[in-house]
Parts: sequence; structure tokens; C-alpha cells
Amino acid sequence: MHSRAQRWRRHWERDKYLYLLLVPVVLYFIIFKYLPMLGEVMAFKNYRLSEGIWGSPWVGLDQFRKLFTSRDFVQILRNTLLLNVYSLVFAFPVPILLALMLNEVRSELYKRVLQNFLYIPHFMSWIVLGGIVIALLSPSTGVINSILKAFGLEPVYFMASTFWWPITFVGSSIWREAGFGTILFLAAMAAINPQLYEAAAIDGAGKLRQVWHVTLPGIRSTIAILLVLQVGRMMDVGFEQVYSLQNSTVASVAEVISTYVYKRGIVGLQYSYTTALGLFQSVVSLLLVISVNRLIRAMGERGLW
Amino acid sequence: MVQSSGWFRALNAILLACFACATLFPFLNIVAVSFSSSRAINAGEVSVWPIELSFDAYHNLIADGQLLVAMKNTVLLTVVGTALNMLFTVLAAYPLSKRRLKGRNFLLMAILFTMLFGGGLIPNFLLVSTLGLINSYWGLWLPALISAYNMFVLKSFFEGLPEELEESAAIDGAKDLSILWKIILPLSLPVMAALTLFYAVGWWNSYMNVLIYIKSTDKLSLMVKLYQMMQNIGPELLSTSNGEGVSQATITPEGVRAASIVLSILPILCVYPFLQKHFVKGVLLGSVKG
Repeated sequence: MHSRAQRWRRHWERDKYLYLLLVPVVLYFIIFKYLPMLGEVMAFKNYRLSEGIWGSPWVGLDQFRKLFTSRDFVQILRNTLLLNVYSLVFAFPVPILLALMLNEVRSELYKRVLQNFLYIPHFMSWIVLGGIVIALLSPSTGVINSILKAFGLEPVYFMASTFWWPITFVGSSIWREAGFGTILFLAAMAAINPQLYEAAAIDGAGKLRQVWHVTLPGIRSTIAILLVLQVGRMMDVGFEQVYSLQNSTVASVAEVISTYVYKRGIVGLQYSYTTALGLFQSVVSLLLVISVNRLIRAMGERGLW
Repeated sequence: MVQSSGWFRALNAILLACFACATLFPFLNIVAVSFSSSRAINAGEVSVWPIELSFDAYHNLIADGQLLVAMKNTVLLTVVGTALNMLFTVLAAYPLSKRRLKGRNFLLMAILFTMLFGGGLIPNFLLVSTLGLINSYWGLWLPALISAYNMFVLKSFFEGLPEELEESAAIDGAKDLSILWKIILPLSLPVMAALTLFYAVGWWNSYMNVLIYIKSTDKLSLMVKLYQMMQNIGPELLSTSNGEGVSQATITPEGVRAASIVLSILPILCVYPFLQKHFVKGVLLGSVKG
């Protein structure tokens, strides 16, 4: 009979180097990931620099009360959700369509060239892409407005219009991510049994019917997982895209949670108030992701964990 | 039937070419603007090729030098940051790929949880400032040592390698560390290349963290500098700083902005052709989670 201690000793003897490798890793996650989670207590305090996080007085739910009753909150929450809903409706289907089209290209070379061009924007920062978008849409020197003028149309102030701004936002998302988003769908399509296409063709199905009855069902689970993942990210619009495109004239549609936390928290030094907002966002996101994962598994797909 | 599918294919190929052109058009336009004369830019005549070829915007940027300093900072930020990322990601992924390791599942769950819930901007900011890392690149590098997502990608790649390799090496007397260095890592080059690319692009493009944590202007990264220049091209950038030649009238803010955008994406475009075959592999591995 080996005792527990002996078994541990044997494990330790065999794997001690592995454990030693993990020491810096564990320290990293404790210090830089879990410690900031403790910092969330600031949302229940009134942070004062001189007293630090622990010395500052508790205020219970006051910060949240202040937050939920403010007009800013309603606006940034609405903007955050709306921009995500627009992306879900208009940007989400584009990579699927692109992948369906790429999948029909016979020439491997042509396909590869196309893909490599379509991936490029994904590797550019939003600062660069935002700069290009603003230059492109400029009412005085931008090429889009030059084209409009050539057709005798009035120049459009795209970036300063609350109607055009969300359209620009979604359009720029499509530009950056649609090509890159095809990777997973193309991989799913490559896994479809080619005999299914032959059978469909023998049954007299044309190209479009084959896409409808064979390809789309073949990638259904990939679509489902990516779709629910996107829903799980409903509360989060990336900081840099919005920040690089927004300006004060369109703040009523362009201010979102992440930019607001930066401006009020880091710039405006309202640490406790914005921590409360950040905590609200994180908790809702967590609940969304957990429910979405349940949903995927209930649909009989492999979950995210 | 054959006829119709031929038409279908041709139409499809043309539509896809249109998509690709639409994707590339903004880049071609910005390159063209950067090489065009200020008269042509202001008249809105530039589309995809330079009108009245001019290098004034580049002369001006290089003479001014601020963007080049930011570029040098970004090279440092990227090289050291990526090296630390790869080191720590391997340190985490290798032991965690061993199913026999005690406590493995607990650690994996703890890491997965950090992907779903985080401390948020302000608590992270206070941690970095408490550690005295404001205005130091360590304040950028340390909090970002490991991307949990990339760690899971690498871990599942390691798990896919045949165990016999390690066993036979162990019989030959190799220890874990030399097995990792001499056998596992050489076999993992494609996925390592993909992760290196993703980390490096992230550092090259880093904006928000630099904006928050770096205060002194001579330490700013390329993207922060670029953003500042796009917000306001001040008179100092539009005047002649090198005495010979470029007069104020020949420079327009749009041209200088375009040139600075082109300069800051040039390095990515240079490495892109060499690495593009690897990143697809990286993405696919990431989607097959273990």
C-alpha cells in the first residue's frame, strides 16, 4: 500500500520540472488576471487616491444607483447594443456569402490570390483603417465624394451625420473582418463529403440548389456556434474601432461603454463610477456567454467548454 | 446544364474579383494620395494612381522625424513583447498539455475563466500604477504576457503530437526541458509561426494600452503618434523643417496623413507574404478546441 504522501512524492519526482515551468505562469495569472478582479470592489466604494482601494469608504450600491439613473447610461447602453445588432444583421452574413462563393472557385491559384487580398485588412489596426475611412469619406478631398460630385450629387458628410455614422461603422467592420471570417466556413465546407454533391447533381440539382441543400446544411453548426458567440459579445464593442471613427458631432450614436469608461475613468478620474459600469458590463457578458454555451449544448453541438 | 454552370462560375469569379478590388481600393487610394501633389489632392482628383507625382509628404515626414522615432519605439515594443509572449505561452502550454499532470484541470478552468471575466479597465490601470509601471513598457508587456486563447491553441497542438516521441526520448535519458527544446518545439514550427505573427501584429498595432499607460511623448508607439497626427496636423509638420525645398504651399494635411498611414503599414505588408500560409493553420487549430 502506497500512502498519499508517497504517491505525491512519485508524481513530484517525475514532473517537478513541469511544475517549475508553471510557477511563473501561475504567478502571472494570479497577479495580472485575478488581482484586478478583486479590484472590482471599487465599484462599491468611493475611491480616494490618498486612501487607496482598501482605505476608501464603502458606499454600497450608490455608484450603481448613480449609474442606472443617469441619462448617459441609457444612451451608451443603447448605442452599444444597437451597433452590435447592426453588425449581427448586416456584417455577420457577409463572410458566409463570401465563403460560399470562394468555395465554388475551381482554380486553386485564383482562390488563393483572392483570399490573400481579402485577409489583408484584418492585420491593420483600427487606427490605420479609421484614418483611411475618414480620408476616403472626406467631403472636400475624399474620393467617394468626388465620385458623387461627378454624378452631380451633393457631397455627403458621412462622419458627421448620425444617419451615416453607424453605416460607416458596420461597413468598416465588414471591410476588416469579412475576408478573414471566411477561414472557418471554408474549412467546414472542405469537410463536406463530395459524394453528397454528386448525388444532388444526379437528382438534377443546379448549383444554387446544391448550395442550399448540401453546403449550407454542412456548415450549419459552424454558423450556429459563431452566431451565438457573437450574441455573447453583445455588451462589448471594441474600443479602438469606435474611438478611431467617432467625433463629438456623432457622440449621440457613437459613444459606447468602452469609450465612455476610458473618457470618464482614465481621463476624468471617476474611478469608482466607471468601475461600476465596467463590472455591470462584465457580469452581463459573463451571463450571456454562459447561457449561450448552454444553448449550443442544448442544440446538440459541442459547446465552447 | 454544363453551359449554365459555366456562366455561373464566370459570374462568381467576376463578383469575387469585385469584392477583392473593393477591399484593396481604400489602400490603393491612400497610397496614391500620399504620392500626389497637394493641388490634385485638394481638387479631389486622386483615385488609385498618383496624380502629379510628388514625394513632398514623405520628405516632410522624414525631415520631421517624429513618426520615425515612434516607429523605432514600436519595433522595441514588438520584438521584446512578442519574445516574452512566446516564452510564457510555451511555459504554460507545454506542462498543461500533459494529461498526467496533477491539478491540470483546475489550472485550465482557472485560465478559461479569465477569458470570460476580467477585472476591467480601471482595476487593471490601478494595478499597473500601484506596481509603479506607468510610463514604462513593462506596464504594457507584463499584463499581456499570455493570451489565454493562444495558449489553448498551442496546448491542443502539443496534445496532438504522438506521445511515443517523448517516451522514446525519455528512455534515452532526456529530461522534460530538453525534450521540449529538441523535439517538441522543432515539430511545432508552423503553429509557433502563426502565434508569433498574431502576437507581433498585436504589438505593432497597439494603441489603447499605450494611450493609457505611456505618458512621455518620446516613448509613444506608432499608432498613438499616427492618431495624434491625424487629429491635428500642426503647423510644425507643414512647414519646411529641412530648409531646402519643400515650401508650405506644396504640402497638404491629407497628403501627410496618407504618407504616415502608408509608412506605418509598410512593415506589416512586407512580412505578410511570408507568413500568410501559417496563420490559416493557426486559426483552424484555435477553432478545434481541446
